[in-house]
Amino acid sequence: MSVMTPIFEGLWDHYILWSVIVGAIAFGWLYHHSFWFTSKDGEKVPNVDGLEVGVFPKHNDDMRLEVAWTILPFLLIVWLTYYSWEPLDAMWTSADGGVHGYECDYDDPKYTGSNNSMNSLGIIKSDCYHVIEITGQQWFWSFDCLELNESLCDTGTETMEVYGSVPVLSLKKGETYLAVMDSIDVTHAPWFQHLGTKEDTVPGMETTLWLPISDDMTEESMVLCAEYCGDAHSIMAAKLVAHN
Amino acid sequence: MLKARSKVAIMTLVAIAAMLALPSAQSRPEGVSGVQESGCMCHGNLPSDSVVASIDGLPQSYNYSEEYEITVSFQGGPTQEGNVNQGGFHLWASEGTLSVNDATAQVFNQNEVGHTDAGNDQVSWTVTWTAPATDKNVDFVLHVNSVNGNEDGAAGGSTGDMWSKATVSLGGPIEVLEAADPFVVLGVLIIVSASLLAITLAYVFYRRDPDAFDWDNFAPWLADWMTSTDHKKIGTLYFVAGLFFLGVGGIMAMIIRIQLAVPGNDFLTQEQYNQFFTLHGTTMIFLAAMPMINGFANWMIPLQLGAADLALPRINAMSFWLQPFAALLIFTGVFSGHGADTGWTGYAPYVVSEGAHHGTTMWAAGQIMLVASSTLTGINFLTTMAVMRAPGMGWMQMPLFSWSILVANVMLFLSIPAFGVGLIQVYLDRVVGTAFYDIAAGGDPLLWSHLFWYFGHPEVYVVVVPSFGIISEVIATSSRRSVFGYRSMVYAMAGIGIVAFIVYGHHMFTSGMSPTLRFVTMLTTMLVAVPTGIKVFNWLMTMHGGSLVYRTHTLWALGFLVTFTLGGISGMFFPSIAMDTHLHESYFVVAHFHYVLVGGTVFGFFSGIYYWWPKATGKMLSEKLGVLHFLTAFVSYNALFWPMHRLGVWGMTRRHHTYFVTTEEALGSLPMEAAGWNMFITVSGFLFFFSNFIMVFNMIASSIRGEDAPDDPWGGWSFEWMTSSPPPAHTLYKLDDGSWGIPTLRDANEHIANEPGWLSTWFGKLLVSDDDTEEAAH
Ligand code: HEM
Ligand SMILES: [Cu+2]
Ligand SMILES: [Cu+2]
Repeated sequence: MSVMTPIFEGLWDHYILWSVIVGAIAFGWLYHHSFWFTSKDGEKVPNVDGLEVGVFPKHNDDMRLEVAWTILPFLLIVWLTYYSWEPLDAMWTSADGGVHGYECDYDDPKYTGSNNSMNSLGIIKSDCYHVIEITGQQWFWSFDCLELNESLCDTGTETMEVYGSVPVLSLKKGETYLAVMDSIDVTHAPWFQHLGTKEDTVPGMETTLWLPISDDMTEESMVLCAEYCGDAHSIMAAKLVAHN
Repeated sequence: MLKARSKVAIMTLVAIAAMLALPSAQSRPEGVSGVQESGCMCHGNLPSDSVVASIDGLPQSYNYSEEYEITVSFQGGPTQEGNVNQGGFHLWASEGTLSVNDATAQVFNQNEVGHTDAGNDQVSWTVTWTAPATDKNVDFVLHVNSVNGNEDGAAGGSTGDMWSKATVSLGGPIEVLEAADPFVVLGVLIIVSASLLAITLAYVFYRRDPDAFDWDNFAPWLADWMTSTDHKKIGTLYFVAGLFFLGVGGIMAMIIRIQLAVPGNDFLTQEQYNQFFTLHGTTMIFLAAMPMINGFANWMIPLQLGAADLALPRINAMSFWLQPFAALLIFTGVFSGHGADTGWTGYAPYVVSEGAHHGTTMWAAGQIMLVASSTLTGINFLTTMAVMRAPGMGWMQMPLFSWSILVANVMLFLSIPAFGVGLIQVYLDRVVGTAFYDIAAGGDPLLWSHLFWYFGHPEVYVVVVPSFGIISEVIATSSRRSVFGYRSMVYAMAGIGIVAFIVYGHHMFTSGMSPTLRFVTMLTTMLVAVPTGIKVFNWLMTMHGGSLVYRTHTLWALGFLVTFTLGGISGMFFPSIAMDTHLHESYFVVAHFHYVLVGGTVFGFFSGIYYWWPKATGKMLSEKLGVLHFLTAFVSYNALFWPMHRLGVWGMTRRHHTYFVTTEEALGSLPMEAAGWNMFITVSGFLFFFSNFIMVFNMIASSIRGEDAPDDPWGGWSFEWMTSSPPPAHTLYKLDDGSWGIPTLRDANEHIANEPGWLSTWFGKLLVSDDDTEEAAH
């Protein structure tokens, strides 16, 4: 059971690669120097910088090196920001003609659903999206399919072995949903574990969250509350079902 | 206990009987105080005692989240077998969730169920009640209607119908009180630690001079400590308090880890767990890390600057003495059984909501005192650094530890007022009913997030920057070199100080901020890596061409380089938003901030302790014990926090009192292996916790029989090594001519020393120092 979505996995692998490179440089250097430049007791070592108590020692610097490790990390973060930009754009795409197009027009004769598809970066694109509503409340989730018919979106409750009675949201594979979210009391955040997304639900404020259900989405996964909301925060759970 | 319980049971039965026997006169169908009073729109105007309502199937005390089938029924009244309609009901439960089993009943909301049209021809119905997941007192109110089924009248025929009411109350699992209450465990452990601390102090006092061990000597000794304005004594007080709370926070961490050792554990209830992680975070940041920084700074800032004391010694004493009282306030809530349960971040609107425990008010009050204390300390250190540097010491000749305290205090000074304001608003909201965070009254839930993180993000640098200073000193001294790139070190620290203020939005990526703002924040957050990278590479380069001498503090500094770099690298994952939406509020975050807070801040402190202990106490610490401490703690530390990264990626959520793994029978939120790793983490956690007692033991042993320390045991250059170990009661330095006084800093780079830069010229203009007035007089 992997909870990593392709979009996450792509970024993760790239970041791990750079982490290993940076780590190898820093730790290789540290390892080398901490064995190479040592002395047993510190007696009789050349006092290269003229250390003497009460005297500010000679400067030990090298402008070229210092500039080098200002510029290089800077280039790296520019690259990482650039690399993260397209996935970011997809996660927070606009509801008006972004990667998921516009809200589906069910009366349009050409309407055939979202028909979402994933590119090599793990970014999902869709023809159009459906709108559902999620409300957070201490301590349960309410899902509302609004006008969507049952084959697109269904809700219910189910008694789970470990979480007890939880609300169930059933969405269709290949379809993309925009959840419009609100909270009745305090801040909550639904974490759709296998979609790798979460967003706060804030009282008195509308927030949105994209739920693109790809064809190979796990059938059953958990939704947990990720923003601390009081006593029963940890069991404020729900289940996401991806149906065909 | 059994007796008490059966008493409760009998009383409840009596109460139920009484309620059944006495139809309540106040309950009328059109009652005004909510549905639990008014009941269903019952037929018939008067309650009747010929109708007897009853609720069956409820336990005396419920189990968490268990489902109970309950039967509601009535007898008597006009109902009769064979009527078209016989009756109806309405049931209200104050807690838990009501649901129905069949078409004879319907759900109005989770607290209310009633009959349906299909259920009109019955006198008894079954419904399901799911008990709450926490300890609550639950009230049930049942209204029943006994009808004769005739069809007169437009409203459906109610002449002659009668209604009645019954109530039942029950409590949560009382067993929780009988088992070891974790708060009692915590309380006992804190008291035991405090007693051990007191005994240790008394013992150290005894060992100083066994002949003078009596009250007549002890009382003035104690009074001296409590009233002293000497920077060294206050530094020690800060330090002892900080170390003590590091232990207390550690005890809480251990209790947290026991709870998380296995999935679905119920060692702590949710409510207790919420208080534990809140207190753990608050204690560690505000009562352990900050006081320890102040301990180091109090001791070392005057010594490094070549000053006799801090600029404002009395303010200094006051800053310290605010702390124990603040701590007391914060903990008072806990021992009232309703400690703050808001997380150390205390998000609004939860923090002002009714659900948050009463102790939250105490928590806010205590924090306000800490804000006052930190502000005063900040003023004090900044003033000292501005006006009390020894002659010859420009800004750019201050030792790096002093610089780190300068940067930390400027950051703190600029950010903590926002936190203070937020806390005062929360306090007022909770106490006098203002509406800063009352959403219904137009309050803004994001205001707190902004105020808090405007402070909170600089705050996490405030606690780590002083460790940067310590590490710079330790690495340079141990390598027998001057630190590489002194100036870029200073600029990097200042850079971190500035960037820290513009990145706080990264804590709010998923909190409804505008996407543009979030993108800017993503860039600036990444930007922190640049100055941090400069520092790490400068430290590494300092070792180049040096001759590293391995002492315990050197080991801790090298350990710091490893763990802090790892923490810095994992921090780079968050600005990448498509990853952050998954990682946010998961154990990946917990792993990351413990890598910087423990592997950064605390390891830096440990290094500083081993480095400056001989100076402060005049006694050497045992190197053998030190190395043992480093090896055990470093290994167990990594075993403790490293696996948390993986747990976070798997989906383990932060601030959850338990977690469930997916098994063949049941869907959970984590893969099976997560259970094993959590157990591993808990075991490593205990090893880490106990390994630190090696250091405590080392300190005690050193106080008692440590070797005497020379003035400059490690070969450092700054002024603290120019005085005796320990420094004389009134801090002075050994001058070249053999006398004691305030030293003058010489500079091996003479050409720079005589040319103040534009910045120091500018600062110089702001300050009217003694020298200036003298010069003006010439
Ligand atoms: C003995 C070592 C420690 C262990 C085993 C430990 C364990 C933990 C765990 C498991 C959590 C997560 C609780 C949750 O979210 O459910 C946590 C939270 C936290 N820890 Fe630690 N910790 C330790 C030491 C420290 C230290 C030394 C510091 C700071 C200097 C610290 C600061 C924090 C903070 C700020 C939180 C967040 C609390 C919150 O969510 O409000 N911890 N710790
Ligand atoms: Cu919630
Ligand atoms: Cu929650």
